[in-house]
Amino acid sequence: MTVPLPKNTPETDPYPHTRFSRWVDTVLVSLGHITAWIWLLLLVVIVVNVTLRYLFSEGRIELEELQWHLYTFGFLTAISYAYSVDAHIRVDVLRERWSLTTRAWIELYGIVLLLLPFVILVLWASVPFVVYSYETGEISEAPGGLPYRFLIKLILPVGFTLLFLGAIARLSRVMTYLFFRHDR
Amino acid sequence: RDHDRSTAVVAETSPRSSIYWRVPVAFNTNLPGLGENVLRIAADSDAISDGRIRFEVFEPGMLIPPFSITEGVRDGKIKAGYTWLGYDQGRIPATPLVSAVPFGMEPWEFTAWYYEDEGQALTEALYEPHFVHPILCGIVGPETAGWFREPVTSLSDLEGLKIRFAGLGGRVLQELGASVTMIPGGEIFQALEKGAIDATEYSMPAVDQKLGFDRIASFNYFPGWHQTFTASYLVVNLSTWRALHPADQALIDTVCTAGVIRNLSRGESLQGEVLQGFPAKGVSPRKLSVEILEQLAAVTEQVLIEEAANDEDFDRIWESQKRFLRSYRVWKDHAYLPRDFGQ
Amino acid sequence: MSVGDILSILMFVAFIALIFTGFPVAWILGGLAVLFTAFGIIAEVDFAVPLAVNWDYTALTVDRVWDVMNNWVLVALPMFIFMGLMLDRSGVARRLMNDFVRLFGGIRGGMAITVVLIGVLLAASTGIIGASVVLLALLGLPQMLERGYEPTLAAGTVCAVGTLGILIPPSIMLVLMADRMAMSVGDLFLGALFPGLLLGSLFVIYILGYAYLKPSAAPVPDDTEPVNMALLLDVLVAILAPAGLIIAVLGSIFFGIATPTEAAGVGAFGATLLAWFNGQLSLPVVKSVLQETSRTTAYIFAIFIGATAYSLVLRGLGGDALIADILHGLPFSPTGVVIAILFFVFILGFFLDWIEITLIVLPLVSPVVMSLGFDLVWFTVLFAVCLQTSFLTPPVGFAIFYMKGVAPPEMSARTIYRGVIPFILLQLIGLICIFLWQDIVLWLPSQAY
Ligand code: NA
Ligand code: NA
Repeated sequence: MTVPLPKNTPETDPYPHTRFSRWVDTVLVSLGHITAWIWLLLLVVIVVNVTLRYLFSEGRIELEELQWHLYTFGFLTAISYAYSVDAHIRVDVLRERWSLTTRAWIELYGIVLLLLPFVILVLWASVPFVVYSYETGEISEAPGGLPYRFLIKLILPVGFTLLFLGAIARLSRVMTYLFFRHDR
Repeated sequence: RDHDRSTAVVAETSPRSSIYWRVPVAFNTNLPGLGENVLRIAADSDAISDGRIRFEVFEPGMLIPPFSITEGVRDGKIKAGYTWLGYDQGRIPATPLVSAVPFGMEPWEFTAWYYEDEGQALTEALYEPHFVHPILCGIVGPETAGWFREPVTSLSDLEGLKIRFAGLGGRVLQELGASVTMIPGGEIFQALEKGAIDATEYSMPAVDQKLGFDRIASFNYFPGWHQTFTASYLVVNLSTWRALHPADQALIDTVCTAGVIRNLSRGESLQGEVLQGFPAKGVSPRKLSVEILEQLAAVTEQVLIEEAANDEDFDRIWESQKRFLRSYRVWKDHAYLPRDFGQ
Repeated sequence: MSVGDILSILMFVAFIALIFTGFPVAWILGGLAVLFTAFGIIAEVDFAVPLAVNWDYTALTVDRVWDVMNNWVLVALPMFIFMGLMLDRSGVARRLMNDFVRLFGGIRGGMAITVVLIGVLLAASTGIIGASVVLLALLGLPQMLERGYEPTLAAGTVCAVGTLGILIPPSIMLVLMADRMAMSVGDLFLGALFPGLLLGSLFVIYILGYAYLKPSAAPVPDDTEPVNMALLLDVLVAILAPAGLIIAVLGSIFFGIATPTEAAGVGAFGATLLAWFNGQLSLPVVKSVLQETSRTTAYIFAIFIGATAYSLVLRGLGGDALIADILHGLPFSPTGVVIAILFFVFILGFFLDWIEITLIVLPLVSPVVMSLGFDLVWFTVLFAVCLQTSFLTPPVGFAIFYMKGVAPPEMSARTIYRGVIPFILLQLIGLICIFLWQDIVLWLPSQAY
């Protein structure tokens, strides 16, 4: 029996790449492929934790906390990766009938008026969130939990910085398509 | 509704502007004793100020997760919140001492230390660097020492036990070889029912019963050694507090002080009836033996000494409490009837 | 009507209008949160309307995201997705479906019924819609389409059955409801079991009827073998392993080896072992599973994050209070009130997600319902069924969104929207049954403990 190999997510909107966007997308996709291994690690941690607790009656709060640390790292870094491969959910009931140019305009307005402001809000608000945790040397509130809580909190701005880069990259492509290509 | 949040409209008819604060809480307001107190605080402030001081209470998670309330207050994202300070333990290790501590004071001992000794000043000083002004606003008596599926006759029964237990009490059990987890409130029932954990604590009997623990674990232990009192605070952003008119500060202080005694009274009034109902449900309320308690106390002492060595604030507050108790004990031993007198 | 009310309604309408632009749902939600904060500030500063919505307030988004980040229960989501993808990519799912088809192949709609059965089993092991819809779509959708099933029927079946995961225990929704209402989770879990099974049965009956009336919608393969003892044995052996996996997940919860959260990890591990036994565990397969787990998890969590910002601002503008006002204004008899509330929730479900509705409406209406003398468990389960339906109802149907993410590119959102309509009607029939016969909910809890 043959193994169905991964469908490469087909790009529905083939806007021209810029040098910047090519660089950013390459980085984000490679990074996404690396951080995807976190799910395997998470699986192993869960199985080890269940085994320890059930067979050896040994509950490890560190392992329980490690589970959500890994999960948080995984999904926050994956958001920019998913953005680069255009995997975020769109409702395309009407969209599928529109021309590439119409879609490009929507993408332009969407990125400038919705996505970027949101990313900037989260980045701005996450500064005190991380700094406070670092300054107070925050640790887990559970007995035997993990230290250095600012590190896991830091993943939020890191993830959104990557998303910011991805958004700028896509914006540069859309703008190139709309304003600098006359052969379309 | 816009009018409700007005800070300007009332100003014309009153010498001071009105106050509208969103007040997120750490416990559901439908939890008897523990959660409902904040509703009285809001109602009282409203009534006494003739509608000028309005707190809109938000259930846990509607604005901000419970563990983040003081952080949100600090940054001014919310002006105030009503919470259990022990949730800040990860950032401010001394907070258990002013919120709930194993083998700690009884509720009125705590309020005596808080209002008449150094308690209030120390608690406020503890939070000042965090730009938060804490106001003691509610207190309830001991929690249960846990719900167990098997009886606990000696400390060795705790070894290897999978138990959900919060705070410093959890540290103590961990030292004794139990495997302590902190699964979220909502998952406790199922985890206990299915045996993923063997025992749990959560709150006072009236609250625990509402969550259904009495139907799946038949051994409910007392006394509540790990949490002899549970204090709740109204936490206010420090600059917001300082900007208040002294009369408003006094009003809020007074409402909270009243809230403390009303909360204590309510909490005390509810539990007996619940315990009386347990036998009919096949639950036996039991007491941990004195030996077990003594051993637990010894380990607790070690844990507290360790905490004090690691944190200056912890050390300072703990010393103050011990000093107060030394003199208080003289009075307590003389004045009060022995606990088991006449039984 | 106050300025806050008007802004709330505008925010509501803006979301519904904007999702049809085809811009990603997550960023529309997040972006509107920022835009409407700005509108709130303008209203306050320039028009002296006291809203108390400002940048500091909206910065609470970060604390709310932190609640998702350290959420122990949601760890299960990527693990269930991993499990589904591994079963799919390793060919285990395909083989399982094939075996079932050999068994039920002679029955019209047998394939879709198989999907329903597997879906109900899955629902008993996962409590998160995103996970169960994705998993089920991976297991059943390609196979149904290959065999010439009507795309609307295939898509509708997968979406509808996928939503059962949040009704049949364990369920993250029931956990949240119990927490909010200070009720026992156990009662709700038991109470929701039969309603969940009832809905599953309704789906099966519908599929049988539809396939009978319109044979082209669910073609029977030409090469159907006669069902005899040998075939039965053959199939039993073949489904032993995957069935064992499902039993492992359920069993690990049931026997207290793993918590419901951890069971997802155990299931993912089991799926990997199965792939290995079948000789399908290669590096490309593992990589593809991991990368797609990342993408799928990412789009679900992006929506979580956007939605949490959106609802925060909507709440700040007074959207909750607006809904509360409408509810308080209902002029009906006791039974009428319950019907009106459920209808209202059903309608809200077209536009809002279940978390918001649970947080806003449930605490508001439960004292009313209790004071009228209705059983709170019964009512909460009815409420839960309404919310489960909200995953299917356009335009904001999250099951549809999640499904869109894993469906073949040629399957349009329109197809999925059309496909879920009959299932929404079935949900309503189920709802009416539960309303009329309270024992469907109350019998089981009364027997337990
Ligand atoms: Na479920
Ligand atoms: Na909907």
